Amino acid sequence: MQLQKQASRLDKLMASRLWKSIFRSGRGASTLHRSMAIQQNVFLHILPTKVRRRMLNFDATWYLGTLTLGTFLLLVITGILLMFYYHPSVPQAYADMKDLRYVVSSGLFLRNLHRWSAHAMVLLAFAHMFRVFYRGAYRPPREFNWVVGVILLLVTLLLSYTGYLLPWDQLAFWAITVGSNISSAVPVVGHKIHFLLLGGNLVNANALLRFYVLHTVILPLAAVLFIAVHFWRIRKDGGLYVQQSEPARETAEEARADENTQQVVVKQ
Amino acid sequence: MRALNKLWNSWRGLFRDPIQPFGIASVLLLVALAIAPAKDHFSEWHYYQHGYLRLIKNRRDAAVLQRHFEPGIHQIWLPDLGVVDRCETCHLGLTETSLGDIKMEPYSRHPVIPHSMQQFGCVMCHRGQGVATTVAGAHESALSSDGPILPAQYSEASCGQCHHAPLEGTPTLNQGRFLLARYGCVRCHTIKLPDGTSMQPADTPPPLSHIADKTTREWIYAWLRDPKSYAATATMPNFLLSDNDARDISGFLIANSVPEPGDTATLKPPKAGGSVDPTAGASLYGESFCASCHAMQNAAGNVVGGDLGPELTAIGTKVKPEWLTAWLRDPRNYDAGTPMPHYRFTDQQLALLTGFLESKTNTDLLANVHLDPATPAQIAHGKKLVEEYGCASCHEIRGVAKPDNYGPELSQIGSKPVAQLVFVKGMPETLPAYLSTKIKHPRIFGPGLHMPQFSFTPEQVDALTTALLSLTDRSVTLPAKLQIPTPQQTDYEPAGKAGQLMADLNCMACHRINGHGGTMAPDLSWEGSSVQKQWLDAFLKNPNTLRPTLIRRMPKFNLTDEERAELTDYIMTAYQNPDIDRDAMPLSGYSPDQVEHGRELFYGKYACQSCHMVDPAKDKGYIGPPLTEVGSRLNAEWIYLWLKNPQKLRPGTIEPNHDMSDDDARALTAFLMAQKGAGSQKTGTRTASVSASGTKGAGE
Repeated sequence: MQLQKQASRLDKLMASRLWKSIFRSGRGASTLHRSMAIQQNVFLHILPTKVRRRMLNFDATWYLGTLTLGTFLLLVITGILLMFYYHPSVPQAYADMKDLRYVVSSGLFLRNLHRWSAHAMVLLAFAHMFRVFYRGAYRPPREFNWVVGVILLLVTLLLSYTGYLLPWDQLAFWAITVGSNISSAVPVVGHKIHFLLLGGNLVNANALLRFYVLHTVILPLAAVLFIAVHFWRIRKDGGLYVQQSEPARETAEEARADENTQQVVVKQ
Repeated sequence: MRALNKLWNSWRGLFRDPIQPFGIASVLLLVALAIAPAKDHFSEWHYYQHGYLRLIKNRRDAAVLQRHFEPGIHQIWLPDLGVVDRCETCHLGLTETSLGDIKMEPYSRHPVIPHSMQQFGCVMCHRGQGVATTVAGAHESALSSDGPILPAQYSEASCGQCHHAPLEGTPTLNQGRFLLARYGCVRCHTIKLPDGTSMQPADTPPPLSHIADKTTREWIYAWLRDPKSYAATATMPNFLLSDNDARDISGFLIANSVPEPGDTATLKPPKAGGSVDPTAGASLYGESFCASCHAMQNAAGNVVGGDLGPELTAIGTKVKPEWLTAWLRDPRNYDAGTPMPHYRFTDQQLALLTGFLESKTNTDLLANVHLDPATPAQIAHGKKLVEEYGCASCHEIRGVAKPDNYGPELSQIGSKPVAQLVFVKGMPETLPAYLSTKIKHPRIFGPGLHMPQFSFTPEQVDALTTALLSLTDRSVTLPAKLQIPTPQQTDYEPAGKAGQLMADLNCMACHRINGHGGTMAPDLSWEGSSVQKQWLDAFLKNPNTLRPTLIRRMPKFNLTDEERAELTDYIMTAYQNPDIDRDAMPLSGYSPDQVEHGRELFYGKYACQSCHMVDPAKDKGYIGPPLTEVGSRLNAEWIYLWLKNPQKLRPGTIEPNHDMSDDDARALTAFLMAQKGAGSQKTGTRTASVSASGTKGAGE
């Protein structure tokens, strides 16, 4: 009785104009409705409307791309929280590390989560690239997405490098000193690049500020942009890559199951 | 292989259904999210705060303590000093006066100190990592730039960051600083002080340019091999030279020496037949108060005497008699910078003293030293060694330039990061441990080191380490409001003929005048306001000790009458306090009633006899100087002002300030001025010396 009443109230809500103005695809389990649910949503429409069920298995991709995205999201969340406690200034930066360590509630956990996620993201991005390479998934028509991926890898590495300076300890200072000196080795414009990167000739307050802005604004925006393109291209290039030489189906049942998945629409 | 396969299969099994890994990841995230706040809640400082509450729960003063207690992290923030201290988060009883009985850390009370904790925090003195809220983080952090906590025996180092003048409460630090100057550490190592000056050495290493006039190559060799074998109190350290190196250096020094006219003198032997008292030399040594500065080993094997000059136990083995005579006649001919005063000895006295000192020998020292004449190659090698070991940092040596900054500068050694230090296996890797080990065993840190081996006692090593640890970055970067001005060393020198005489007698080696000079003897800046002229004249003729318990005494210089008159006049005229009219009160003629009232105050209200004596038969006061003859020695006005406020006349004197009324001070002055002593006419004679010793500044 109660349940029925609730259900009718829900039906009423979903029939309302407000609801329909947000979820435009309408209700129903038909293939059309389910494809519309993906296509009409700004967040989901960059994903393929159809995925083979087999492609969702761990074996198919090892989830490397998804995990890379997961660590990126984790980094964004913890990064924003860390920004509440961190001042990119010479007298404060290191003291803020100490405060996170000793007095901020769960501050150490927050910082460690950010740090380990960053390491994991670099590792996963490389693993993702190797897997794509050895599976031959970069071949046309996916050659453009490969290039986007390479850009994303560079952005990831730059994020990692700029974040390294922010604790403002000896390790950070010398790592960035050495790292930025490498850029001076570029012929002709090397010293200009070095100066541009640090905002000076030495790692100091300007460099700290530049790296902070790069780390928290410019590079994350670039990453989001390229991630969107990357995902969009997956959809446009025919979904997740299926290896050309599929292993023979061992049983008829398996083959049939595989056929069925062709029609499955992912509920995201 | 099979096991590996199995593992792989179960791993795959885990991810068969896409929903499974999602579930697992979610559970892991939930667990992590639960652990983080739990770790916060069970943190160390929570544990200690609960412990504190348990501790105070059943005490009588629980209500007060409870009220003072606030849960949470406490901190002292001093932006000027760059200090953030969270020590009080766990050390909860630091300022609770009623917790004196608690010995358990971290709850015990802090001993009373002259500074407020809120103004200075904890790490200013104790070091350690103030921001940390864990025991290990705060106390043992070796990675942090703040370093670990300072061991208790070096605590005084922290006082020295701001206080550059000696403090009463920091004997170890004071001694350490004294040793840095006394043992010539600062001759090789520059130590710049925050006010821009450098620490100055307080030793007097002899010049070596004319050393052949003074001693033999054999003695130099034995001394170089081990200075302690010649004199137990030798201040020169052992350079741990090989036999050949000592041979070559001694060869070079002798070959390099040029004779200086006047460095040697021979006296006619005393007239034959003249009866000479065999103990006359020893008596003269005693009468001249040589022992105020020089030590000598007595029959019991104890080294007795001052340490301002070299020990003389085996002086006869060291110096040539003709040099010694010339030296005693006028030390400045050989060494213009010596602190030894120019005594006016007669030829007969010179002969006596030379004879006495030459009899002090140690025949074992040179018994096995046989040196062949040095070859040119050895001499050249000797010179090279002299340059390598930086001998000229201390000694003037002809042809060898004084090296600039021979040793590393130590101006901020107390803040040296541990990462920049080299440690020997097995030693604790901390800065204090490094410093004390370096002082004890300078050469163990690697080959090719030149720092010599000193032989300090463990207390001296601690003192030196403390003094070095006080030289921190912080002492340089202190905000202006916390800087304590150091007493400025002036370059005052007395002028005129008397000035020349005082320079010749080297008065300023012991006495301080107008902010310049030694600290061994009383400050003479206001001597003219303080003493009576007749007394001063008699004192200079035959100085008696004012304090019989002291070993150090003013020497007798055998001044001529003219010299004495010159000196007395100068002191009485030049060294006056502009605020004191010394004739404001009469020297005598006080009414008997007033004297009697003063006596009652002396023995009754103020109980002066507990430190001073007026009647040697009755009084037992030994802390202050005897006052039996004070009426013949001091001016009445000085006594009066002294009684009113002793610290104003002599800062730091232990004489208590009684905040006396004018009447009391006047009566006491009358009583003291009546103490003319039995031998007031004989003050200058030796017989009256002990009992007649009045005071000089009634409580210096």
